[in-house]
Amino acid sequence: MSPRRRDELLVWRWSSTVTMTLMTIVGFLSFTWPFFVSSESTLATSNDAPWLFPVLVGLLCLVLVAQLSGGTMDAKSVAVLGVLAAMGGALRVLSAGTAGLEPLFFLLVLGGRVLGRAGGFLLGAFAITTGAFLTSGVGPWLPFQMFAAGWVGMGAAMLPAVRPRLERWMLTAYGLVAGLAYGAIMNLWFWPFLGSSAPSGAGFAATASLATQLQHYAVFYGLTSLGWDLPRGVLTAVLVLLACHPVLAALRRALRRAAFDAAPTFDVRTSRGTSEDFVG
Amino acid sequence: MTTAADLLSRPRLLHPVAWWIWGLLLAASATRMTNPFLLLLICAIVGCVVLQRKEVGTRNALGLFIGIALLAVVVRVAMMVLLGSSVGGRITLVTLPEVPLPHWMAGVQLGGPVMLAGLLDALYTGLQLAAVLLCVGGCNALADPRRLLRYVPATLYDAGTAIVVAMTYVPQLAEDAASVRRARRLRGHSGRGLRELAALVVPVLENSLERSISLAASMESRGYGRVTLDRSARRRATALTIIGLAGVLVGLFGLLGGPTPASLGLPVLVGGLVIAAMALMTGARRDQRTPYRRDPWGLPETLVVLSGVVPLAVVSVGLRRGWSGIVPAQVPATLPHVSVAIALALLVAAVPAVLAPRTPRRAEREDRRRLRPPTDPEQGPPISSLRRDPELSRSKA
Repeated sequence: MSPRRRDELLVWRWSSTVTMTLMTIVGFLSFTWPFFVSSESTLATSNDAPWLFPVLVGLLCLVLVAQLSGGTMDAKSVAVLGVLAAMGGALRVLSAGTAGLEPLFFLLVLGGRVLGRAGGFLLGAFAITTGAFLTSGVGPWLPFQMFAAGWVGMGAAMLPAVRPRLERWMLTAYGLVAGLAYGAIMNLWFWPFLGSSAPSGAGFAATASLATQLQHYAVFYGLTSLGWDLPRGVLTAVLVLLACHPVLAALRRALRRAAFDAAPTFDVRTSRGTSEDFVG
Repeated sequence: MTTAADLLSRPRLLHPVAWWIWGLLLAASATRMTNPFLLLLICAIVGCVVLQRKEVGTRNALGLFIGIALLAVVVRVAMMVLLGSSVGGRITLVTLPEVPLPHWMAGVQLGGPVMLAGLLDALYTGLQLAAVLLCVGGCNALADPRRLLRYVPATLYDAGTAIVVAMTYVPQLAEDAASVRRARRLRGHSGRGLRELAALVVPVLENSLERSISLAASMESRGYGRVTLDRSARRRATALTIIGLAGVLVGLFGLLGGPTPASLGLPVLVGGLVIAAMALMTGARRDQRTPYRRDPWGLPETLVVLSGVVPLAVVSVGLRRGWSGIVPAQVPATLPHVSVAIALALLVAAVPAVLAPRTPRRAEREDRRRLRPPTDPEQGPPISSLRRDPELSRSKA
């Protein structure tokens, strides 16, 4: 089951929807601006324009995290997000250097599914940040990675609620797609840095049409990173397929147990089943 | 012997925010130039400051960044050689055999002549990327990014706490995994192989979730999260965030050549960013949490930041005035001219190597080395007293 509204780890307010929508558009443009830029605009002609976007995305990512976490995070969500982000960071450090084999995404997909939209986004962002801090690898790529990983976690939470058996296959397919899409979009942030000197036919040319740009990018992507992204997508899918049920069950049980402020309800018919709600 | 740094401040760790501002300003100067000599000068400055002012015994993050920077240059040049470039020029270095490609890849060229101008351009812009990466790597080495977590504004306090929790729990995860594995081996499993690794997943997950619940319970019982921003501050932050984001979006459309007039693009974008940043700062003044041992911001911090401002200002003025040698032309390919003014301005950024306070452990080591030759006991402070000084022995807290 997809988390019901009241089961989500963090409250999702209307302002979260507005902020997230605006940020998603800005973030999407920050990733894909090479495709949309018109030839006579300042971005196309200026030399240091590509550097605008790491700064922009970095600052806005902080704003978004503040908006999603502000006022809604209590001790429980801090602890759960912290411990899960620790697992994500550890997985990321372990997998550093192995070509594309990143088991982190498996945690993001399943964790995001259980934690809900805000929790899933924050899990992705925190796990990436923890991994970066552990390796002292805080660079201009970090904001983009936080954003993309947050999307992966949030996307898993936004998939429809289905029966458990179907959910397993749905998450497996999602893992495959997310692993591939993450790589495709993460290449975009530094593609324009290749600038004017980029190879003809695979480089960013601000004057070219959208179709040409897409074709160039496809060539660039196929040449440089498909070999890295395919293993990641497949690994994520396989891990989700194998461990979906036990991991989801463990996460859901933990969240239910951590509901300290759940109001006790005494229902004559189900009173035997709800005793777990008071454990904590 | 007293160094200039010791006159300004006793040995201590510089405020991490000062180091990061310095490095990012230097990176910003690097983004505005493609002159290879100036870019190499920036790399040398970063390396020199890191050698002089990195705390002894901390991880050297610069190595990682040097690796990535070299990779960036190599990938760039290799792609240019293999796939050609759009720069043009007349001098052909070598002609590689050209591989015929199917027609749907029209415009892509594999192999063919390698032009000098294209090669130089790939090298210069690759160097630019490398210099920026080195500046960021220098920040990582000089001030561990974890120390920045203590300076997050009040609106990000919860997020900062979650990341601190995460960093604390990573070592325990390794212990968990080791103990689960030990238990399995005691029960007669081999403890090796993929299947055994998979068997670790659920016990480790259960363990750490268990731990998170007890952590949450103990935080809750100590009143964590009861002091938060009041409602009006939160509402103001939300309003500022949305207005700021809308501004950023409108500005971005202008910059990309959309319906917004292009001249409006950048101002609106910057205005939106400022408003969004204000949303982050909302309520920071009324935050009631007390900090523990904040690093002081003194004269050395201001000097370090200023030493980063000078090169950026000079390079920006130079670009506007059209000085030669900041962005050299590759067609025709000539040796880039190096302007003395710009080189001097860049050298100002190396001042922290001399003026920033020495780090405690490095200072202790240097003083010990200086005192080791048998001198008479009246001269200089004995090492034991240096060690007992609580301010000195305080490492990165």
